[in-house]
Amino acid sequence: MAVAIEVTGLSKSFRIPHEHRTYFKEYFLHPLRRTQYERNDALKDVTFSVEAGEFFGIFGPNGSGKSTLLRILAGIYVADSGRVQVTGLLSPFIELGVGFDLDLNARENIRINGTLAGLTQRQLDARFDEILEFAELERFVDQKLKNYSSGMLMRLAYSIAIQIPFDVILLDEVLAVGDESFQRKCFVTFDRFKREGRTVVLVTHQHDLLRGFCDRVLLLEHGVVGAVGSPGDLVGVPSEGALIG
Amino acid sequence: MAGAAYPTSPVRPTRGLAYYLRVLRVVGIIKFKAKYTGAALGYLWSLAKPLAYFGVLWLVFAHLLRTANQTDDFALFLLIGILLFTFFSDTVAVMLPSIVEGGSILRRLAFPPILVPLSASVGIFITFLVNVSAIVVFIGIGRVSPRVEWLLVPPLLAELYVFSLGLGLLVAALYVRFRDVGQIWELAVQLLFFASAIFYPIGILPDWAQKVAFLNPFVQVMQDIRHAVLGSSGPNDLTAATVYAGAGGRAIPIAIALILFATALAFFRREGRFFAERV
Repeated sequence: MAVAIEVTGLSKSFRIPHEHRTYFKEYFLHPLRRTQYERNDALKDVTFSVEAGEFFGIFGPNGSGKSTLLRILAGIYVADSGRVQVTGLLSPFIELGVGFDLDLNARENIRINGTLAGLTQRQLDARFDEILEFAELERFVDQKLKNYSSGMLMRLAYSIAIQIPFDVILLDEVLAVGDESFQRKCFVTFDRFKREGRTVVLVTHQHDLLRGFCDRVLLLEHGVVGAVGSPGDLVGVPSEGALIG
Repeated sequence: MAGAAYPTSPVRPTRGLAYYLRVLRVVGIIKFKAKYTGAALGYLWSLAKPLAYFGVLWLVFAHLLRTANQTDDFALFLLIGILLFTFFSDTVAVMLPSIVEGGSILRRLAFPPILVPLSASVGIFITFLVNVSAIVVFIGIGRVSPRVEWLLVPPLLAELYVFSLGLGLLVAALYVRFRDVGQIWELAVQLLFFASAIFYPIGILPDWAQKVAFLNPFVQVMQDIRHAVLGSSGPNDLTAATVYAGAGGRAIPIAIALILFATALAFFRREGRFFAERV
């Protein structure tokens, strides 16, 4: 079977300065003082692969590097070392979705996000109504997003993410603030992705999702791959993160 | 395309000239419109600012201090300077915070970050073109007759745009690391406004100061455009060629603009890989 995502020896660390030197003044007043950094190894030598058409779950406690991993897969962060190869078009849904400008309305935000993702005017027009319909926001299309609830923002973001043509979709905590009816709609799309043979990477704390949809799951602990295997074997006792999810 | 609810992938490139132009057009126009919706006077504000500057300076220098009589057509001379400076400084000012303000989308979608400051600059460029047209219609007609030299104006504007973009990219990338850049630029704009011979003829400066002033591509562009539009207007009609004694001298500020742009572009691209982490 073809490989959709191949990750080899991936490492990423962030340097968190103790005193944030964002002003030139700091350099003039203390030119000799070296900034103290705390090294946070978000990911350490992560290796795994996802097959094309696979529904792949990633779970682990808060701060274990899940979002960082997804951002590197999406090409948003640059890895320190290691290799990431994604085959096919990718659509990311990270940190409650796409980036919105809250001072603009839904119509404008859909246009901006779709265009940045590479859609032409015609492709966007063809999908525009469907995006609004799925998000159930037709009535609010001309309202500024700052008046939206977090659930509405999330519906719009998910709706855009799945309407951007993709082979691989990255879903980070997609159900975190959705209500029950939206969750059910998401499950329908999950089934559809599976039938259509699309590759899904789902980050979640919800064990029933991991067990219900995923072909395989990966447990990430402190930036290290704890285990990869079938959800039946790995997902059992709720982890500490489940309290939040 | 399958026509299904989740169509299979057509080509969806996020690189190439067509993609860049499409993003600049779509995002630029949306932000341009958004800027003026909700303001009662809307677009007129962007015309009011340069006109207010013009009114004050014209009053002071043409009537109170009367230094203006060294220049034949002081009103147009001043207006050209102010419009160009507004375009230059507004372009840089709008690009400066753009990366930091665009952090939300940079952290969620992978696309070339240079599109953020570039699309911010589009609105300023549209504003400038509309302002110029408005002023040409109301003031320009009848006072100057068309000349062949006017053909030089578009390439000179292009040079000014390149220079402004270069400076804008540089400060936008620096602002991610150092928030002082905002204050520094505010001060620099004030100093440049007074140093750039906008409301006084550059000829009143001593020779050495003229040579320094013309290192600034803005001064060269402004003087060349004044020369092209107003024609030869006496001893104060100075261009880079006259100041640096020779046609080759004209190349000095142009080279400075191009080198700045190339350097800023390289710096921005190097920094750009880490914007998502730092904003």
